[in-house]
Amino acid sequence: MSQEAAIAHHGPPTSFLRKHVFSVDHKVIGKQYFALAIVAVFIGMILSWLMRFHLVWPNAALPGLQWLSKVGAPAGVMTPEYYLSLLTMHGTLMVFFVLTNAPFAAFGNYFLPIQIGAEDMAFPRFNMMSFWTTFAAFVVLMAAFFVPDGPPISGWTAYAPLSAVGSDAGPGQGLGQTLWGLSIAIFCIASLLGSLNFISTTLDLRAKGMTLMRMPVSTWAWFITSCIALLAFAVLLPACLLLVLDRIAGTSFFIPAGLVISDRLQPHSGGSPLLWQHLFWFFGHPEVYIAILPAMGIVSHILINSMRRPLLSHKVVIGSMMAIGFLSYMVWGHHMFVSGMNPFSALVFSFPTLVITIPATVLTLIWLGSLYGSRLQITTASLFSLGFISMFVSGGVSGFFLAQPSIDIYLHATYFVVGHFHLVMGVAAIFGIFAATYFWFPKMSGRMMNETLGKIHFWFTFVGAYCIFMPFHYLGLAGNVRRTSSFVYDYAQPLIPVHKFITIAALCTGAVQFIFLINLLYSRFKGAPAPDNPWNATSLEWTVPSPPPWNNFGGKHPVVYHDPYQYGVEGASGDFIMQNSPEKVPVRS
Amino acid sequence: MNAAEKSNGMAATYVVYVVILAQAVFQVVFAFEMGPSLVLMMMIGVLQGSLAVLYFMHLGQERPSLVLALIPYTIFVLFMLNMIWSDSFRLLHMRPH
Amino acid sequence: MSQANLAVDPHAPGVMEERPFAIPSSKLVMWLFIISDAVTFGAILFAYGYVRNASPDWPTPFEGPSIWNTLLMTFILVTSSLTVLIAVKAAQDEDRARAFRWTILTAVLGVMFTALHLREWMDLIGKGVRTFQNPWGAPMFGATFFSITGLHMAHVIGGVIALIAVGLIYKAGRYSAKHIEVLSLYWHFVDLVWMFVVPLVYLMNMKR
Repeated sequence: MSQEAAIAHHGPPTSFLRKHVFSVDHKVIGKQYFALAIVAVFIGMILSWLMRFHLVWPNAALPGLQWLSKVGAPAGVMTPEYYLSLLTMHGTLMVFFVLTNAPFAAFGNYFLPIQIGAEDMAFPRFNMMSFWTTFAAFVVLMAAFFVPDGPPISGWTAYAPLSAVGSDAGPGQGLGQTLWGLSIAIFCIASLLGSLNFISTTLDLRAKGMTLMRMPVSTWAWFITSCIALLAFAVLLPACLLLVLDRIAGTSFFIPAGLVISDRLQPHSGGSPLLWQHLFWFFGHPEVYIAILPAMGIVSHILINSMRRPLLSHKVVIGSMMAIGFLSYMVWGHHMFVSGMNPFSALVFSFPTLVITIPATVLTLIWLGSLYGSRLQITTASLFSLGFISMFVSGGVSGFFLAQPSIDIYLHATYFVVGHFHLVMGVAAIFGIFAATYFWFPKMSGRMMNETLGKIHFWFTFVGAYCIFMPFHYLGLAGNVRRTSSFVYDYAQPLIPVHKFITIAALCTGAVQFIFLINLLYSRFKGAPAPDNPWNATSLEWTVPSPPPWNNFGGKHPVVYHDPYQYGVEGASGDFIMQNSPEKVPVRS
Repeated sequence: MNAAEKSNGMAATYVVYVVILAQAVFQVVFAFEMGPSLVLMMMIGVLQGSLAVLYFMHLGQERPSLVLALIPYTIFVLFMLNMIWSDSFRLLHMRPH
Repeated sequence: MSQANLAVDPHAPGVMEERPFAIPSSKLVMWLFIISDAVTFGAILFAYGYVRNASPDWPTPFEGPSIWNTLLMTFILVTSSLTVLIAVKAAQDEDRARAFRWTILTAVLGVMFTALHLREWMDLIGKGVRTFQNPWGAPMFGATFFSITGLHMAHVIGGVIALIAVGLIYKAGRYSAKHIEVLSLYWHFVDLVWMFVVPLVYLMNMKR
């Protein structure tokens, strides 16, 4: 592609801006995405602390909170509305700027071109635009904190008509909600640019010998994810545009007639809140897989390396991920069982929802079957990969319950769902991010991370995450409704001790994440220098120096001779054969 | 590039141009005379669109794998969106009057 | 698309894997963008259908002059698809001046289309159609009309700007025929969307 021409004619960038800020180098852009995700995840985590704290000590003042919002938290005690504002921002930050950005955009950007033997993405300038568009979306979203009414209160799903009618619906539903809509619309465009780049890079820039089936599982996962993101975000974009029109142009796509909010008859008619839910969840369910598929690929990639043997079947893993991507478009209605949707549709959506557990189960069985009898090397990365499987299974099993409308109607508005999606989508994907960070940090920075701190981080996070999210299921079964800032009903009173336990667990588990942050920063500057291939891995990213030079392969085109995971090959010269090693693989008898 | 190079001459393009315009005229005349029928209008639209994709955008001259990668996926996603209709029809009857 | 200098082809035999679709990456990206955008338009048209189904008093105001105007716009847009094809052909024959002329003619047709469209918008606004009300019935009529045709018009305007920019850079010799061809795909797509906007937004809403 053309960047090769550019490389042929120009040297590496020299100015600070070109090198570190407006860089077209996919590695710098990947790190920028990662940094953005780290900022977003810590903001999101602190927001969750504030919410958990308020839930169990509703009258205790948090000194300093009034600086965040004088209206939302007078004298440091947040109002019920401000609780919802923080909830919205927590969800939006985590889903869009962490779970979508970190495993997909950050690690995908950094490692997809190297894993296929390319010098850069197919369109480096698009890539840069894609990051800066994401950054703009982040800034617009953050701006909602600083408008007079504060951030929106309608949750990350922005359910209409609450999100559509304007400031009558409560504080934050004025300018804050408009900013939310614009931010997500901008994010859709950024995601579109990213997907286009990922797909064309994967298809067009593979090194000689890197056939599609020789691509590592992680590359496949990023590729499939970008195919999903290509069309899923395409539906969210018009939805957000129509939402913004409802708010600023007086249309009523999502607002029904005769709606009275805050004692005021809304001057709208003709729309339907269900339309928003349909459009949003049509994107929203594929989004779940946009968050989890890259983690699946990363975890497979890492486990294979730690087990020193390939998965039971490369093809079935890829096929299962494709099946998940395909089915993800057919199941969005299971988020809407209690929305007043046609009950017949609920039945139709329930069936593919149960079917989608089949490829997910196949993946899990392949991981477990491959692990069985293997001599797993216990590194922090492999521990987090095991943690991913554990979280994915624990969170996934409750999905069986929620897939059935009759059970979901009871559970949907309760903490059961909170526990379910935090485990299966949130924590599982975050574990994938952690695993990727510990695994690839040596390549990205040229220094090793501290394994002892990493293992401490893992065990506290693993136990902590279960302490936080497992009790949510019991709360939900007991009927504790979600999205409320206090327990006003008598039946909820006995549940308060459980909430206290969760809050303490959340505060502790959150604090442990600072170990990760310290490890990350310390290792970045003071860590032991990393060799080119610290994990004795086979794929192409380990054939280049740590960190890779600006054109990855030093201006040469690697040639690939093998399937991605040649571990423990009998008769080979070593324990493993690199993908670009011309060594012949002895035929197994 | 290679695909378009294969198309020597523009004769087919002019024919398709005329056919698409003729369809547009027929569509309008039919709508005036018989009233707009959604099914027929959409059929003509799909026909016009297919002609444009095949002869203006030369998709027919690309590798079949490209067609298989793009078109069934798009149609599948648009097809799935049809699940929303059952709710929009119900709204009419649930409407408070 | 936004890249210059295509002299070096890394896909020389033996350097990299063949492209699976045997088309340049920029063309593949344009196709992917087109299917993504098709779903975007699809979703907004579905939203229109949804709202329309749910409204018992949907107005059908378009009369003869309006429909003939639409037919004229169709004629202009389909003709612009033809002119851009002639530009592509000329570019592939290395006739830069001719390709540039036809590209600019396409952009001019795009401007004419937009002008006719805006005239119609003004006409409807003059009749009292707003995004939140209209003199005839369901207030969502104006909202759907303006949002769908507005999105389409934004695509036309973007296309006109791109045609002029790419045409000028091509004339200066920094772009190749490939750039014109890839941009022509986008222009045909804008045309294709119009083929669905006309029956759904205009013909279905004509006075009977």
